[in-house]
Amino acid sequence: MTTETVKTEGTVYEVGYHIVPAVSPDNLSVEVDAIKAVLGKNGATIISEEAPQLMPLSYEMVKVAGQTRNKYDTAYFGWIKFEAAPAAVVEINKALSVSEKILRYLLIKTVRDNTMVGEKLFAKEKEEAAKAEDQKEAAKTDKPKASEEEIDKSIEKLVA
Amino acid sequence: MTKQCFFKQNNVQHIDYKDTELLKKFLNPHARILTTKRTNVSSGAQRKLALAVKRARFMGLLPYVAQ
Repeated sequence: MTTETVKTEGTVYEVGYHIVPAVSPDNLSVEVDAIKAVLGKNGATIISEEAPQLMPLSYEMVKVAGQTRNKYDTAYFGWIKFEAAPAAVVEINKALSVSEKILRYLLIKTVRDNTMVGEKLFAKEKEEAAKAEDQKEAAKTDKPKASEEEIDKSIEKLVA
Repeated sequence: MTKQCFFKQNNVQHIDYKDTELLKKFLNPHARILTTKRTNVSSGAQRKLALAVKRARFMGLLPYVAQ
């Protein structure tokens, strides 16, 4: 890692966070704004973000608030991608770690581009699979239709 | 003929820990990371993949153990 040439500016980071489900959906924006305020205070510029959404957690997480250990199996997950100086990120990390409403967060280095490729890749596969199924169904439904018409015609001919 | 690296084929430079749909393709039913022999990805991509899975586990997006 020491050989990595990191400039003082222009390093892209991302913070992914879980907000405790005790927060009401109306007050979520307040919590997000609090995170953004921390970023803004340390001179970070936001690149992209996703609003927190309630999701089930894969395992139970514990958050100690005061003297109580609260267990959560759902949380509001969101993320913010931002650009900041490495020194500022240390301060951001400290500020986030003391927040009571953040169940867990992950602060990592990332790239500026959109990195969510799974949906795109599998959307093609899903489309192709759906098309193949449609074609199969169409082939199945077309055949009896044509044959029914033919039968009708042949019956009409016989009757006439 | 050997199979090519999935990430090189699809020109994926950065493996995101939030991309659970993609990561799940490289886990076994117990949610353990598959070996390079089974994933058929390059060694560099395998290291990035392992890091992404571990980050996803920490954030509760993927389980540490399943079943």
